[in-house]
Amino acid sequence: MGFFKNLCNKAFPKSLWVYHTNTGACNGCDIEVIDVLTPYYDVERFGIKLVGSPRHADVLLVCGPVTRQIVPALKRLYEAVPAPKLVIAIGSCASGGGIWFDSYNIVGGADTILPVDYYIPGCPPRPEAILHGVAVALGLAEKKVAREHIKQLIDRNESISVEDDTGAEEVVPGDEVPAELPTSK
Amino acid sequence: MTAQSFGDSLKNKFGDKLLEVEAAGVDQLYVRIVPECLVEVADYLYNDEGCRFVINSGTDRREHNGKFLITHFFAQDEENLYIAVHAEVDGNDPRIDSITPVVPAANWSEREARDMVGVAPEGHPDPRRLVLADDWPEDLYPLRTDVEHGIKPESCPDVAMPLVEPPEGASVVPIGPYFPVLEEPAYFRIFVEGETVVGADYRGFYNHRGVEKLGCSVLTYNQIPFMAERICGICGFVHSCSYCQAVERAAGIEVPERAEYVRTIMLEVERVQSHLLWLGIAGHIIGFDTVLMQTWRMREPLMWLCERITGNRKTYGMNLIGGVRRDITADVHGDITDVLAKIEKEWRALYDAIPGDPTLMARLKGTGELPEEKARELAVAGPTARGSGVAIDVRVDHPYAAYDRLDVKKCVYDSCDNVARVLVRLDETLDAIDIIRQALDDMPDGPIMAEIGEEIPAGLEAMSAVEAPRGEVFHWVLTGEENRPERWRVRAPTYANLQAVPTMVTGDALADVPIDVGSFDPCFSCTERMEVTDLKSGIIRVYTQDEVLALRQSK
Repeated sequence: MGFFKNLCNKAFPKSLWVYHTNTGACNGCDIEVIDVLTPYYDVERFGIKLVGSPRHADVLLVCGPVTRQIVPALKRLYEAVPAPKLVIAIGSCASGGGIWFDSYNIVGGADTILPVDYYIPGCPPRPEAILHGVAVALGLAEKKVAREHIKQLIDRNESISVEDDTGAEEVVPGDEVPAELPTSK
Repeated sequence: MTAQSFGDSLKNKFGDKLLEVEAAGVDQLYVRIVPECLVEVADYLYNDEGCRFVINSGTDRREHNGKFLITHFFAQDEENLYIAVHAEVDGNDPRIDSITPVVPAANWSEREARDMVGVAPEGHPDPRRLVLADDWPEDLYPLRTDVEHGIKPESCPDVAMPLVEPPEGASVVPIGPYFPVLEEPAYFRIFVEGETVVGADYRGFYNHRGVEKLGCSVLTYNQIPFMAERICGICGFVHSCSYCQAVERAAGIEVPERAEYVRTIMLEVERVQSHLLWLGIAGHIIGFDTVLMQTWRMREPLMWLCERITGNRKTYGMNLIGGVRRDITADVHGDITDVLAKIEKEWRALYDAIPGDPTLMARLKGTGELPEEKARELAVAGPTARGSGVAIDVRVDHPYAAYDRLDVKKCVYDSCDNVARVLVRLDETLDAIDIIRQALDDMPDGPIMAEIGEEIPAGLEAMSAVEAPRGEVFHWVLTGEENRPERWRVRAPTYANLQAVPTMVTGDALADVPIDVGSFDPCFSCTERMEVTDLKSGIIRVYTQDEVLALRQSK
């Protein structure tokens, strides 16, 4: 993560261009994203700009649960964004499928298809939350909550990575449930 | 004419072909017919009685009587009447005659019934699937009760949308599925000769999330309103309100008057918010970003107000069966009037500026034309209909909540183009502000939630419609066991309006296509369909799955 952060700081020193994509969302998150761009929240003061083509983008903002039909288009869209690139999942649905997580036409959250770098949960997340999330991604603000173990994942015997205070990564095998869950920083 | 007298006239006309006629109140009529005479009844209702087709619905009732229930819904707007025509077809041989040849607006919904419950409309001009993904298996119907809501069939990456040959001499301009001006995914292939659009090919349903299946198999009555709000993140309150009204009506629950006023106020607040949003997006679509920035700046205090009233900026979570969860207390009255006064002042400035702006008018005037007879034929709803001179508005025609006690105007323009649709919304916003003020003044004291004693019995049904910012939202609920509906049918206004796109874009310049589509405020998340139309010859081209595969292989 440290390396990635350095790379980001080098690659995106001042201005992030974002491309917004809806993968099956109800529009709630999408219009909060537009809200962030309009005068009250004015994200352009951080140099962040909404662009009309993925080819121009540094960041992909993903809203909504990923539907079965959109998967091929979403994959092509991700490939069209030039590297290095960030993916930010906005809203509960993009973060993990939301209330649709087990519906027949839903594949899951954005991370079932794309590598997601940042999650901004909420239904829909407030414009302030989106601003904060993007500011964390840019290194302008400190992260407020540490990543936590999710019990269901551990039960499913899957390895998950945990980040400690030093930024080093530690892999916890799924069957060893830690005695204490990491708390907020 | 009341439901009872309309039912009697139907009985006289069709005699034995009508198995059952039941009027519920004065404004809802349920008719059960012999499936063989469906086309005849639909033809009579649509062509002779001038009813508007709303939607149809397929229900798997094989566990009860071994049959599928197919229901067609019609509305008689002048008489304040909704008519449900039930026809039961054999569970082992699910087929029904298609009414699309006589009622063109039924095109999509009949195909949807085939996709979702597997009842084939015989004689339908379009044998393709509509709602489900390209790689969904042929014989798996998600809304059948023996199919799990979480079923995930193997994906098949090689099946894709067929490419339609453009008319001779025309070129193809593909738009989407991701296109900057549309917030949601949709795929258009526009056929152009030079700059002029001569045809369009549209593929939607990227946002299909299986709302109805979840409502009928996983959630309970009081959980559904929260999911219903997430059908649409812009105008979700209309869905939860319409659903609650349908259940309340089916179960005979009397909603307290104050709750009706709270619902009315929130519906109108949502309308103001949505129209401001839409105007901004429309400005953005034609490259006039000042409009976007200004309208969204105006809208923001309203979002804060919603948060103050409901606890959330949108998806308010206010509705439950029997009333609302939060009151509009006296201490927010002042905030509401302040915010409304500010918005009204700024909106009036905008109101004067927009029709006087030559750049805007040059882009909007005469583009996206939808003649009145076409609008009626396609049964479009809301501002799209009222911009084409079709004077329908659920708030006036079929009053619900507290609208029968308030003064509501129908805002109608008849120039049938994008300007008309803009002007309808400009007027409606001022009207909505006025309605909120009236409702605040008239709101009686009292409880906001009805006491609901016993469980809701199974087998009851009711329809409910609400005028959303985009047009009529229609819900039908058939109550069931286990504290949840057996069937819950939702129709969003874009479902009807989207079918008008091919008519609207023909003859326009390519650059006008985005604003044509944007002009009816599309909400794909509620809708999601597929259509291929060759506008030059007027023939709707249709592909089956096998033909799609054959086309792909020949490429």
